[in-house]
Amino acid sequence: MSKLTEAIAEFTERHPTLYRCVLFGENVFKKAIFGCQDCGQCVLSYNAFVCCMRCPKQMRNGPCGGTRPNGRCEVYPNRPCIWWLIYKRAKWMGRVAKLKKYHVPVDRRLEHTSAWMNMFAGRILPLDLSKELREIELPKKDPPPKW
Amino acid sequence: MVSGSRLERLLRQGEFVVCGEMSPPQGADKAPILKKCEYFRGYVDAVNLTDNQTAIVRMSSIMSSVFAIEGGCEPIMQMTCRDRNRLAQQSDLLGAYAAGIRNVLCLTGDYQTFGNQGDAKGVFDLDSVQLIHTVADMNSGRLLSGDELKPPPAFFIGGAANPFAEPLEMRIIRLEKKVAAGAHFIQTQPVFDWPKFEKWMSAVRDAGLDQRVFIIVGVMPVRSVKALLYMRDEVPGMSISEECIKRMESAQDPKEEGVKMCVETMQRLRETPGVRGIHIMPVMWESITPRLVEEAGLLPRPEPLPVEEETTAEPAETS
Ligand code: SF4
Ligand code: SF4
Repeated sequence: MSKLTEAIAEFTERHPTLYRCVLFGENVFKKAIFGCQDCGQCVLSYNAFVCCMRCPKQMRNGPCGGTRPNGRCEVYPNRPCIWWLIYKRAKWMGRVAKLKKYHVPVDRRLEHTSAWMNMFAGRILPLDLSKELREIELPKKDPPPKW
Repeated sequence: MVSGSRLERLLRQGEFVVCGEMSPPQGADKAPILKKCEYFRGYVDAVNLTDNQTAIVRMSSIMSSVFAIEGGCEPIMQMTCRDRNRLAQQSDLLGAYAAGIRNVLCLTGDYQTFGNQGDAKGVFDLDSVQLIHTVADMNSGRLLSGDELKPPPAFFIGGAANPFAEPLEMRIIRLEKKVAAGAHFIQTQPVFDWPKFEKWMSAVRDAGLDQRVFIIVGVMPVRSVKALLYMRDEVPGMSISEECIKRMESAQDPKEEGVKMCVETMQRLRETPGVRGIHIMPVMWESITPRLVEEAGLLPRPEPLPVEEETTAEPAETS
């Protein structure tokens, strides 16, 4: 993102204890509020702050064809379809245009790492709340260390 | 022209195409495929070979497609994201192309708990939009990782759409993503609910998507009202109108009525602007296909014109 955030990320990633604390803080916050599944490359801001990785098929680009007429998931009829929730929420928040973004395949190396630090280090798209969607060329970066 | 497959050539010539569908056998023998090919050869332009549909173990769609070629049918190989990660998908695609398969339909796949291997691990490494994008990338000579691919394949890429699932706006967004990712054709769920289908189709036309992708709409012959009720209650994402159910219920001969209903839908689809073909899904009733195609007035099937020299020399295009 910027020199400063990159420096912060680099510093954190060099210090395992600090990194673990950041990761723990992020998990406590995101797991409790969004049901975060720890994919390490957050797309919450595009999906109206509903985590799409809670979908059994982990669909990142929209719902599968099996959503039930009452908005329930095809796999678990007693749960809502995540993409149904995302759409309803996006409609309410006026963020439907953001659903049009194409999300690249998940980088599995980033799983169980801190999405915040990955964002700071410029590995993933920034959580940009104010600006409209645009394609940002991300520099190729090594995945973060795992201890 | 991307792949030069029969399906693609006919579509680009402006013909109204007919596709069939068969499920590969649940045993280690190719004879059932060759037998089913007889119901399709000359009656449809291409046949879908399903990839462990409803998560039940069957012969692989790649090998089944190869046997379909042997049986004289052009295959549309289905590929799901449930059983393979991106490595296996890309290597299977290379093998499939080398074996003469030119059409591929990219799907996410039914969840594993629906089938006979409920304890399996679902892979879902990519989703169907990403898989379409991957195939398009491979067409243009690159693997997903960015590494060069030489020589590249040239697939005619398909995606699926469900006109009956809600919410409509989200469905159109997703369809648009598939087209942008590089899908050339779209196949849909079977139509048993005309008003809902019309609504979807007009949304597709309003978004201009019928001009950017070939839309092939599904139809299904049913033999009894029980099959309809089963689909309504058990198959997620299907919509069956009351009218269809009433009609099948009150029919003297449900089998005949099912055929009649299917033929009527086919004829109606032919008149619908933006629909470029139909996809017949005769689940376990492949032998009815010739009759359906004939009664709908879609015989004889056209032959594709020979491809001109220059179009074959062109590098594979991707959008
Ligand atoms: S990091 Fe991934 S799993 Fe966690 S909330 Fe964001 S998108 Fe969902
Ligand atoms: S119905 Fe919705 S939540 Fe369930 S698998 Fe499909 S997309 Fe995911």
